[in-house]
Amino acid sequence: MTSTPLREPRGTAHRATPPPGGEPGARSQARAGQPTRTLRVGPRRPAGRKVAYLYLAPALTLYTAFVGLPWLHTVWLSFFAWDGVTAGTWVGLDNYRQVLTDPALRASVLHALGFIGFYSLLPIALGLLLAAVIGGRGGRRYPVSRTVLFLPQVVPLVAVGVTWKWMYSTDGIVNQGLRAIGLGSMTRAWLGDFTWAYVAVGLVGTWVMLGLCLVVFQAGIQKIDTSLYEAARLDGAGPVREFFAVTLPGLRAEIGVAMTITVIAALASFDVVYVTTGGGPGDSTTVPGVLIYRLAFTNGEVGAACALAVVLSALIALVVLGINRITGEKD
Amino acid sequence: MSARPLRRSARTTAMCAMLVAAATGLTACGGLTPGGSSAGPAPTGPVSTALPTGSATLTIVSSENAGTTKALAQAFHAKHPNITVDFQYTGPDDYDKSLNLKLSSDQAPDLALLNKLGTTVKANLVRSLDDYAKAYGWDAKYSSTELDQWRASDDGKQLGTGHLWAGPAGFSVVGVFYNKDIAAKLGITPPTTRAEFDAALAKAKAAGELPVQLGNLQGHSSFIVQSIVDATDGAAKTSDWVNGKAGATIKTPGGTAAATTLADWAKKGYLPDGANGTDLPGSVAEFTKGKGLFLFNGSWDAQVIDKAAHGKTGFLTFPGESGKATGIGTSVAYAIPAKAKNPDLAAAFLDFMNTPEAAQIQFDTGFLPVAHADTVKGAEGNVMNEVAKGWAAVNKDNGLVNFFANTDATMGDTLTSQGQQLIGGKIGPEQYLDALQNDWTKGHQ
Repeated sequence: MTSTPLREPRGTAHRATPPPGGEPGARSQARAGQPTRTLRVGPRRPAGRKVAYLYLAPALTLYTAFVGLPWLHTVWLSFFAWDGVTAGTWVGLDNYRQVLTDPALRASVLHALGFIGFYSLLPIALGLLLAAVIGGRGGRRYPVSRTVLFLPQVVPLVAVGVTWKWMYSTDGIVNQGLRAIGLGSMTRAWLGDFTWAYVAVGLVGTWVMLGLCLVVFQAGIQKIDTSLYEAARLDGAGPVREFFAVTLPGLRAEIGVAMTITVIAALASFDVVYVTTGGGPGDSTTVPGVLIYRLAFTNGEVGAACALAVVLSALIALVVLGINRITGEKD
Repeated sequence: MSARPLRRSARTTAMCAMLVAAATGLTACGGLTPGGSSAGPAPTGPVSTALPTGSATLTIVSSENAGTTKALAQAFHAKHPNITVDFQYTGPDDYDKSLNLKLSSDQAPDLALLNKLGTTVKANLVRSLDDYAKAYGWDAKYSSTELDQWRASDDGKQLGTGHLWAGPAGFSVVGVFYNKDIAAKLGITPPTTRAEFDAALAKAKAAGELPVQLGNLQGHSSFIVQSIVDATDGAAKTSDWVNGKAGATIKTPGGTAAATTLADWAKKGYLPDGANGTDLPGSVAEFTKGKGLFLFNGSWDAQVIDKAAHGKTGFLTFPGESGKATGIGTSVAYAIPAKAKNPDLAAAFLDFMNTPEAAQIQFDTGFLPVAHADTVKGAEGNVMNEVAKGWAAVNKDNGLVNFFANTDATMGDTLTSQGQQLIGGKIGPEQYLDALQNDWTKGHQ
């Protein structure tokens, strides 16, 4: 139970993400298959599908047991007023009414949406740039930089938070650096500043996500047909033109994947915020994840925490479906 | 297009199947109502003050990391070699959040530190210590204010009265540490009235020193606020508010004075610029480096401060209008879980806390002893000796008040976010007090 509300958003959103390739395929099959039956591949088709389910069974069972059922349990708990210990009482939709009318919740959702800029857009833009510059096709250039940039993905987010908390402190490395380059007047305790705390936390997210985006894009670049680059070059395209004409369109699927992962991370953000600011100063960096944690473990309102978790997972599912619609459709 | 509903119905079937599976799973886990299978009424019955003669193990779970409980456990083991003490430490944040689960599990410890009663009493997770208090005569050994902090009504909402739920193992007290070097340089003597205190602040500011060191990342501006409230309204009245007595309010002359003062100090530049981004240990480090004339902090950091700036620090209780000494403080307190396997042994350990031997151990490890405070002595020049003097004065005047953060589950978060906003100039004193009172009403209604 302890970690259920925290895990939910990620798990649920993941559920909402169709397996890559599967969905569009099924759709075109259905569309094409309906008017002309001849396209159906005969009686063997249903049997094949059954076999497919058999292959899926182990993963599906595990997924149901460790993601599906806990999520449903969370939904169930959201209908109770429960302090986590004594017997709960059924309150129907009261918890939802409570969390949806709470102004603190609205602010936290806005903060989470704003984090999409830091966790998602910025790392994707930077990742594309870096992949084009250091990734290069046809070779494994700069393996060291790639490893270094991927490191944030390997470090636990709590450790990331603690480290950045030191770096942002009054005498931390960020302020030391500013002083060293003569910007001593800009120094401040970044995480305690009402204007800058949000940006400071957001940039930690950028740092964490950048490596992932870079690696995904580099892998994608390897896959782009080299003849396209040759053709572009013959047509007299420079590196910039080449990037926009060949690399960017070729990375469409990878951008979609990176977008999905990073947007989920932004909306479900918790660890970094909790460790660095705890939602402060005031409530300037609160995100739904922090509120869920507070409701469940500080306030002893497990039901309300579960309701908020369900609302958050619904929001994430919606946003991710939207992303898939945009990036998944081919023209 | 018509294939879409088909797919949807397949999905619905899958969903229904999952729901059924979920329901089955839940039923198997012991009832569909959450918490329905938790502990029954706490055990009562005959208690014994006799210790086991064979070998036995006493398990303690705690978030106390000063080493006091560990040292007490060693001393207890030395006295009773057949008894082993298994001390399990968890960091404070995680500890409170997992405590209820630990207490309700079948492997419940024999003693558990309570940072606050929380839902433990209401959920019958800890047992009443009334029988043990009677058997050991604790009422005569402890001052009433010390034990009263751990009394509560059976629903755990009204504190300070009712059954006893935990025994103290050493106290902390919050007061004002001051930098003796800066004070001497500016000709400031330890202030004994509020007016003298304010004059010292102004003098420090004028001389280019930081008047008050503060780390407010985790909301420790509440120490300043509460010190002023306690000193202005008096301990009895403030305790009523902390204990959740019906009709109590924070919108008193003391409350107003406190909130106004904090906002005022922030405006005048009496507080460090980065206060909202600095945590308590960070502010202690700055203070021992000589930044700040005063630091509102608890006795738990006295050894840290003494080590870093030996002989350069003094301690005083915040001077109030009435001239009576007040202090914020509570004890490290241990409760016996309802499911404890060795409750008698646990109670014997609690009784060991009020011996002269335990008093010296508590003092040496940074806590103020629960009894025999007059017999303990620290090293020459250690600020702990001044803290002990302040502690004695607070006890003499019945001036001990539990932490504001302990008044209900959410008050700590409220004090943090509202204190940060007050210092940052985002809200005024009025809104600060409103937020505190609203939280209080929600927690105690």
